[in-house]
Amino acid sequence: MTTLAVVARDVYKRYGRRAPVLAGVDLEVEAGSIVALAGSNGSGKSTMLRCIAGIARFEGNIEVCGRPTTAGRELRRNIGYLPQSVMLPPHATVFESLAFFARLRGVAPSSTAVPPGFLPDRNARIGTLSGGQRQRLTLAIALLGRPPVVLLDEPVSNLDAAGREAVWATLREVRDDGATVLIASPSPADLAGVGDRTVLLHEGRIVDDSPAVKGADPNG
Amino acid sequence: MADSTRTIAAWEFQAAARSRWVIATALVFAVLCLAVTMLGMRSLREIGLSGVGPASAALINLGILLPGAMGLLLGGNTLVAAREQGVLPMLAVQPVPRTSLVVGPFAGIAGALVVSILFGYGVAAVVLSGIARSSDIGPLLALVGATIAVAVACVAIGVCISSLSRSRLQATSSAISLWFLLALGMDLALVAVAPAMRMGPVGLLVAVLCNPLEAGRVLALLAASPDGTVLGPFGAYLVDTFGTKGSAALLISSILAWVIVPLAVARWVLARSDL
Repeated sequence: MTTLAVVARDVYKRYGRRAPVLAGVDLEVEAGSIVALAGSNGSGKSTMLRCIAGIARFEGNIEVCGRPTTAGRELRRNIGYLPQSVMLPPHATVFESLAFFARLRGVAPSSTAVPPGFLPDRNARIGTLSGGQRQRLTLAIALLGRPPVVLLDEPVSNLDAAGREAVWATLREVRDDGATVLIASPSPADLAGVGDRTVLLHEGRIVDDSPAVKGADPNG
Repeated sequence: MADSTRTIAAWEFQAAARSRWVIATALVFAVLCLAVTMLGMRSLREIGLSGVGPASAALINLGILLPGAMGLLLGGNTLVAAREQGVLPMLAVQPVPRTSLVVGPFAGIAGALVVSILFGYGVAAVVLSGIARSSDIGPLLALVGATIAVAVACVAIGVCISSLSRSRLQATSSAISLWFLLALGMDLALVAVAPAMRMGPVGLLVAVLCNPLEAGRVLALLAASPDGTVLGPFGAYLVDTFGTKGSAALLISSILAWVIVPLAVARWVLARSDL
């Protein structure tokens, strides 16, 4: 019997009087899998991640590890989340930032799931880092304490090929340890050979749900 | 204070202490404190007076107005900037109480502002120390306390503005507008309305309690002149009705309410909005 890490039922999200960003989304995600949420800009994939993370209000029901998104701290203990764009204070160092979020989570800074050498120099100030290095740092923050559900919004948008491969290798390792990873990406081809499943969103609805990530095989 | 609140407060304090804008405003405040003190003392000597009373009176307006503006602007940029930069969503998914997301930044910014105020008054105190009498210490400490209270209340109001704003530009413009209203607008309105409405001391007291800047100013003036004479008929009414200590307690309570209520509103707004 498979365990479901994320269960979403009839999820609606609307901003004001505009057309709904999410229009009745039903989604089940098995524990220990990597799922790509694909779709063009405005399709609702980032909003879906935010609803699952419990930081956007919605109509419907979402459970993460068996807990509703209203469960507050108990829910958030199970979630690691990387927003699409993060600008940490430029004067803070890499280690200070990691230690700050680790303390809030009640874990050690070394508990992040990224491999050695993934992060920039721990004493480097964030203002001196490249976009890719900052993205590595925020990913490391999202993986602090090895949460069972990891939500990543375009985690490789600023990374070069080597950086992307390092991220995918890390996420495969996280998945193999039993965690569930949901990745929002406008180009699921980037996730070729990484994801176990692709869910395609269009105008707030799931229009395709495929067992493997579509796109060009990087080895082929 | 919860551990998560302390952690966020320390993070915000560190960021504020490293901010060029905060350092620059702290230096400007220190320079202005020094200038106002020296000018106040010089004009006193010219008319043959001594002591620090009138010099500290000159500091009252500076101490109430500038830190108030700094508090509103710094507080106004906390939550909305964190939201725009993606930091607030990252904080919001941590297993910490939502209250920490409001009280933590407030405490950190307020702490940085208090350090700036103490630095500015410290510079003025060096100049005043040569002429100060032991009887001057109380009013001077009350001035520092009133300034800190007003600044902290303004940070809280700024955090509330931040929670309600959609962008940093909106938060900044709202903070500046509110400062003008509190610093000048309410006084001008009272000047215009009070005679026509035959507003007595009770009406004035309500107006003072509704304005943290004015409450801080009256508190500092009351400390400088415990019998209330410096405040004119309004001061006499205040002291006659509530006594000096009672009046001080009333004013401190109103400023405290200006800290608690805006933070509670910000917490309420945060719980009901997308982060």
